[in-house]
Amino acid sequence: MFFRMIKGVLIRQRKKMLMIAVTVALGVSLATAVLNVMLDVGDKVNQELKAYGANINVIPRGAFLLNDLYGIDMENGISDKYLDESQIGNIKTIFWSFNIVDFTPYLELSGKANNEKVKIVGTWFNYELKLETGEFRTGMKNLKTWWQVSGAWLEDSDADAVMVGSIYASRNGIKTGDKITLNVADAVREFTVKGVFDSGSSEDEYVYLPLSVVQEMAGLAGKVSRIEVSALTTPDNELALKAAQDIKSLSIKEYETWYCTAYVSSISYQIEEVITDAVAKPIRQIAESEGAILDKTQLLMLLITVLSLAGAAVGITNLVTASVMERSQEIGLLKAVGAKDSAVILLIFTEILITSTVGGIIGYFVGLGFAQIIGQTVFSSAIAIKAMVIPIIAVSVFVITLIGSIPSIKMLLSLKPAEVLHGR
Amino acid sequence: MEGKKFKKYKMYLKMVTSSLLRRRSRMIVALLAIIIGATILSGMITVYYDIPRQMGSEMRSYGANLVLIPSGEGMTADDVNEAKKYFPTSGEVVGIAAYRYSTGKINEQPFMVAGTEFDAVKKVSPFWHVTGSYPSASGEILIGQDVAELLHVLTGDIVTLYGNAGDSSIYSADLRISGIVKTGGTEEGFIYMTLSDLEGLIGGTGKIDAAECSIVATASEIDTAAAEIAARVPAVSAYPVKKVTSSEQAVLSKLTSLVLLVTIVVLILTMICVSTTMMAVVAERRREIGLKKAIGASNRNIIVEFLGENIFLGGLGGAFGILFGFLFAQAVSMNVFSRGITFQPLLIPVTLAASVVITVAACLLPVRNAAEVDPAIVLRGE
Amino acid sequence: MNVLELKNISKIYGSLKALSEIDLVVKKGEWLAIMGPSGSGKTTMMNIIGCLDKPSSGSVILDGKDIAKENAAGLTAIRRDKIGLIFQQFHLVNYLTALENVMVAQYYHSMPDEAEALQALEKVGLKDRAKHLPAQLSGGEQQRVCIARALINSPMLILADEPTGNLDEANEGIVMDLLQGLHDDGSTVIVVTHDPEVAEKAQRTVILEHGRIARIIENSSAEKADET
Repeated sequence: MFFRMIKGVLIRQRKKMLMIAVTVALGVSLATAVLNVMLDVGDKVNQELKAYGANINVIPRGAFLLNDLYGIDMENGISDKYLDESQIGNIKTIFWSFNIVDFTPYLELSGKANNEKVKIVGTWFNYELKLETGEFRTGMKNLKTWWQVSGAWLEDSDADAVMVGSIYASRNGIKTGDKITLNVADAVREFTVKGVFDSGSSEDEYVYLPLSVVQEMAGLAGKVSRIEVSALTTPDNELALKAAQDIKSLSIKEYETWYCTAYVSSISYQIEEVITDAVAKPIRQIAESEGAILDKTQLLMLLITVLSLAGAAVGITNLVTASVMERSQEIGLLKAVGAKDSAVILLIFTEILITSTVGGIIGYFVGLGFAQIIGQTVFSSAIAIKAMVIPIIAVSVFVITLIGSIPSIKMLLSLKPAEVLHGR
Repeated sequence: MEGKKFKKYKMYLKMVTSSLLRRRSRMIVALLAIIIGATILSGMITVYYDIPRQMGSEMRSYGANLVLIPSGEGMTADDVNEAKKYFPTSGEVVGIAAYRYSTGKINEQPFMVAGTEFDAVKKVSPFWHVTGSYPSASGEILIGQDVAELLHVLTGDIVTLYGNAGDSSIYSADLRISGIVKTGGTEEGFIYMTLSDLEGLIGGTGKIDAAECSIVATASEIDTAAAEIAARVPAVSAYPVKKVTSSEQAVLSKLTSLVLLVTIVVLILTMICVSTTMMAVVAERRREIGLKKAIGASNRNIIVEFLGENIFLGGLGGAFGILFGFLFAQAVSMNVFSRGITFQPLLIPVTLAASVVITVAACLLPVRNAAEVDPAIVLRGE
Repeated sequence: MNVLELKNISKIYGSLKALSEIDLVVKKGEWLAIMGPSGSGKTTMMNIIGCLDKPSSGSVILDGKDIAKENAAGLTAIRRDKIGLIFQQFHLVNYLTALENVMVAQYYHSMPDEAEALQALEKVGLKDRAKHLPAQLSGGEQQRVCIARALINSPMLILADEPTGNLDEANEGIVMDLLQGLHDDGSTVIVVTHDPEVAEKAQRTVILEHGRIARIIENSSAEKADET
């Protein structure tokens, strides 16, 4: 009989139950959408922050980054220590290899262009690196997203073309299509300017060539002077700071945790493990700021999520209260014909629970849709669907409908059947 | 005639207020729904408007986004101050760190020596990681990690720096290392001291080789400022740090559109939630509507009464919503950015209008339906 | 003069014929009772007389006007101007005081007049309960408020549906006395009931059976009361 009554309510009171189901569905879809977005926003924003360029600099041990700042000339800026080009691919074999987004090697030398001293850089532009696990495209094009290039980017196969920085170009009156003569070590060759770039930094004074061309001219086959790596990292915490001070101070357990977390310091450490005589230095300007911004974004999304969830919760509670109140007469009748309080509560609660389960399931899928719309619109990529959202939402819906029923059930129990039936 | 109108008006008001005050529990349910809706509306919109500003300030942890260097003759502190006049007016200037560069030797090894003001450096380059402390007294220096490794020196050690004083004589100074800086960048190969210390060694008061500026502004504002400075201040060339400005722009626009979309989704769903609650609250009153119709109320009478109640409810809920929404946005801002939020006065009319319109719209549909219903059926209690 | 004329009216709900071919004339100042067992068509007849519903066929002439031709808004206007309704379940607006409940009827009719409404409450003996909410009133008191509301606009016809159905004996007496008083003042009163004691008080009792008028009884006792 109990189930018959429930069935009766669900089918005959379709409209009211539909309203509860719709509200629960809305609340759940909202929760699903924001929770999924919130849980994924870290990864997504991290990807976006890659626009700031590399966050790890890999240099030969003993070499110094004595570059010039703001174009102030420095003789001793060029080191004579090198890394082995053949080992670069190893970066994609470390524990956190999936977090390595891009990397590019540089061979930086002093040379002459049209008989004037200039810094000459050989690098990868859009290089196809063959790895055991497959192919990996990497290079300047991905790493320096903010460069504005007039003319065209170099290809790694261009043997007689260069790219020059905008400051160098304007100082020497060089345009795309011009020919320049480069002296590197003892080699002299003529090149065509394929593109002029504006990077907004000291690189604007340099001349860029494909890595293999510079290696050949300088007689440094297979050598690079440094590698820039762009990796997705987890913001530093106390453990990461402790490790940065001194790795040996970590206990074995701490070490394992640290090694298996994508801190910029542990990724650097793992890079040092796979490249001989290399020092991998986190570029703090990028690494630290990324951490700060990630933290802020996640906190922001968390707070927005909390607000939306609170809103959804109160919304559902409210509607359940309102719709049970509406049924005072029917419940008065039940009590009049001898239903016990507990039986009435059980009946109402089962009805609401069945309704909200149906609403919740529909809402979950609608919410996934919303999450994907947000992902595609904002980040042009899908939001990862986290399974942990399901139990969170299931439990919350249960608790919320329970709480939502309490005031109305309390009110209903205080009803005197006679009064209700006499239409007071 | 005036008296008659007034009497009707008074009765109308009495009915509306009685309905609200004497059906307290129901009214609270409805009001609560509206307050939630309005809170979310005003809170989310405030957060949305404030995000670019707040995040923009946060992005300043990436360091300078505009660099001033001398164009030819040499640049002085006055020139920098002159250039500052052309900075974007909307944004806060986080800091301007002026640098003077020179070369010097320690243990026969040549190094770049930079003079600067460390208070400004802390603001412009918050990412510097200093073991020990920044120089606080004259005769103290901060050295890069690379320098420290090369010289095998530690914090607290004394080193002797010598080099060319301005007048081709040689200076020599014993300096105490107060700290070692790690940045992962070129700074690790530098020796830093206060500007006045460096001026004391090499002379040339007031000269500046570079000024790093950190300004809360968009990429285009920075570009405009750079062009302006180049045109108006002949001694200075201004370069936007593209890596920072354009990347910042990209990340900020993503974040803003993320919050916008989430806000829209949350708003739509909340509005529907509010509407369903209002409908449930109204549905309960079908019998009352039937009764009023039976004793002679026209459909218009009924609708006008509900209109009055819900304009009031919507207005009250909206007012609370504005308050709570602001408090929420303030809480978010304090928690996330540790900064207060600016109140958007425009939100008052927008939130009020939205909550009144939604409340009225949400109840008019069921009221209209109820008013169409045959009073006889309603009265029989079906 | 005839207040109400029902001419050959039928009401059909789907396949159910609730009323068939009813003819009835009610004179001004008359007190009429409509009686019958459940399902005899009492409520349908009350709805049609009370302008809450329209017949499927036939004409209802109230005060010389055929209501069968009116639309919903027109029916509402007629109800407002010409009929005072009294319900078995009282149906007061639960958030308004007794006085305000009476004034609501004035408000919809023309304009609220507190003094007049208070007078009406005095007439039903509830002047001192004017500021009470329905929930604070007993069943009998609520029904008296309902009567005050029904008579406030001096309707042409007072229609009561089981006015004593939810009341105890003492209150039943009070309500019946009030109706008697209305009748004595010259109002036309129609009471729908299944209680013979209530019907007895009327001048005429129409007995409905299966949607038809089975018979009409002239009540001599009431007639006498009317004469004195």
